[in-house]
Amino acid sequence: MLALEVTVTGLLMGAFYGLMAIGLTLIFGILKVVNFSHGEFFMIGAYTYTLLMLKAGVSVWIAVPSAFLVGTLVGFATERLLMRPLYRTYSEWGVMRDEYAIIVTFGLSLFLMNLANQIIGPYPYRGPDLVAVSRVEIGSLMMSAQRLVASLLALVVLASAYLFMRSSRWGKEIQAVAQNRLGASIAGINTARASALVFALSSGLVALSGALLAPLFHAYPAVGVFPALKSYVIVVLGGMGSAIGSIVGGFLLGILESLGATYISYAYRDTFGFLILMLVLIFRPHGLFGEKVREV
Amino acid sequence: MKGGSRVRTLRELRVSLIFLAVVALLPFVVRVPYWLGVLIVSMYFAIVAAAWNLLAGYTGQFSLAPATFAMIGGYSSGLLYHHFQISPWVGIPVGVVACGVIGFLLGVVVLRLRGPYLALTTLSFAEIIRLVIGNSYTLTRGDLGLSVPAIFEDRLAYYYLFLLVLVVVQLGLYVLVRSRAGLYLQAIRDDDVAAAGRGVNVVLWKTASFSLSSAICGLAGGIYVHFILLASPEIGLVLETGLVLSMAVIGGMGTLIGPLLGAFLVEISSEAFRDVGLSHMLVFSLMVILVGRFFREGLWGLLERLRDRRSPIPHPSVTPEEGGPT
Repeated sequence: MLALEVTVTGLLMGAFYGLMAIGLTLIFGILKVVNFSHGEFFMIGAYTYTLLMLKAGVSVWIAVPSAFLVGTLVGFATERLLMRPLYRTYSEWGVMRDEYAIIVTFGLSLFLMNLANQIIGPYPYRGPDLVAVSRVEIGSLMMSAQRLVASLLALVVLASAYLFMRSSRWGKEIQAVAQNRLGASIAGINTARASALVFALSSGLVALSGALLAPLFHAYPAVGVFPALKSYVIVVLGGMGSAIGSIVGGFLLGILESLGATYISYAYRDTFGFLILMLVLIFRPHGLFGEKVREV
Repeated sequence: MKGGSRVRTLRELRVSLIFLAVVALLPFVVRVPYWLGVLIVSMYFAIVAAAWNLLAGYTGQFSLAPATFAMIGGYSSGLLYHHFQISPWVGIPVGVVACGVIGFLLGVVVLRLRGPYLALTTLSFAEIIRLVIGNSYTLTRGDLGLSVPAIFEDRLAYYYLFLLVLVVVQLGLYVLVRSRAGLYLQAIRDDDVAAAGRGVNVVLWKTASFSLSSAICGLAGGIYVHFILLASPEIGLVLETGLVLSMAVIGGMGTLIGPLLGAFLVEISSEAFRDVGLSHMLVFSLMVILVGRFFREGLWGLLERLRDRRSPIPHPSVTPEEGGPT
């Protein structure tokens, strides 16, 4: 019985984890950089949702999409202001490129965190519940209605994002740019637009996951740190740049953490993910489902 | 590129020694204990930032764990005192050795990783260590931290000990950067495959750089905990690493003097910002973004540019010599 409950908890968390992480992998796919400010977009989503509900009193139906929208806008601005130099001149940057991306996104992460601290303050706001019911029983299984609804929502969004990337025209353009930026631009694809689109979409998705998790995680300036670290674990687990890998990785991490917390140690539950991350990076650097994009 | 020419490195050393001489004289003017404390903390950060710069600026290994090694250094001494009443004068060197060994092991682990992968692995290493220390209540008293004894009665003694370490580190780095080994490190930074092709033992020098940089961080952390009288997981927060990184980047990465200038500038002005009620990290993170985006050479690079105005301003992203291998 316990095993079943643990697995279900893990699966529910897994859907969030997938939604949290997919943006990171999309950005890596198209820009070949790791966005170290990923968690702060989670924070933006959590704050947008929480403050809109608490201060402006709008309904859930407006607050959740608003979080996505605000994340998208900030992501778009970030791409325009900070990410353009990465591909404005099509030249290989070598080490300098990674260095630039790490410095700038790490700086942005600190900046957004401290901006929230300065404007909104360090106090955590508890995100209002998504639904009024608190518990659902399915057979002998008890679970939180919050988590269930939020996970289902996350699954729907994940599925639509995946379909968008696979089948829509823009999605295909993005895939083309991810495969070969120069080749795509020769074929007449607007690579700058594709990059901006990916960055905005990715930021929106992680902000959305921040909104959905606000009742659990609350909203405070450093709320994004753990989601970001988990996203890195997931993305490395699933393989950098692989969208489906990040979804599978999300479920994998959710279940592993849930099992580890129950059967090994609750206090150390957050270290499991990092251990897995280090092990995967050492033994299988392109992840479990990764495309071999990493240079040696 | 930066730090490549001998003349430049010598000039950086000269200016840093002049700067440190001024720092040595400051206690004759600054008599408020509070400001002495600020200067001591600046020196602590200057040592850690210089160590990080050796790894990231000179060897191109963008580690995100410098604060973690300072924490390990601090805890080594703290734990030895807490459990066995061993003197800090033994504990601090033990911490240095421990950090050197752990740094070496981490260096071996991340040997094949580059850029973002290296940053991610070191970041997760940092978080594992911090979480383990924070959760091992019976051994480390967890998030409460360990109280550790003072090693001096007087603040001035700490001041000059930190200054001594800083001067030694600065001179040591100068000798290292000017030596053959320094050239190897910079060759690895610029292109490790080419460096290996020219006969540089990349494995040896990368791990050596990791080990040395970590040991220096451990030394700084070891002394630091005996100054603040507390070894806590907060020393190893990612935010602290962010601070170290900001200092080196703002001052100028890959230069001898950059981390030094950056550390003092950031630490002292954050006190001023605190009075105004503005979050100092807000300002510095913005500066990091601007420096990264517009003038990669940092504050020292700007000063150098002012010095010889004749040379045109190179744009960070298009100078051919900065473009890596294809």
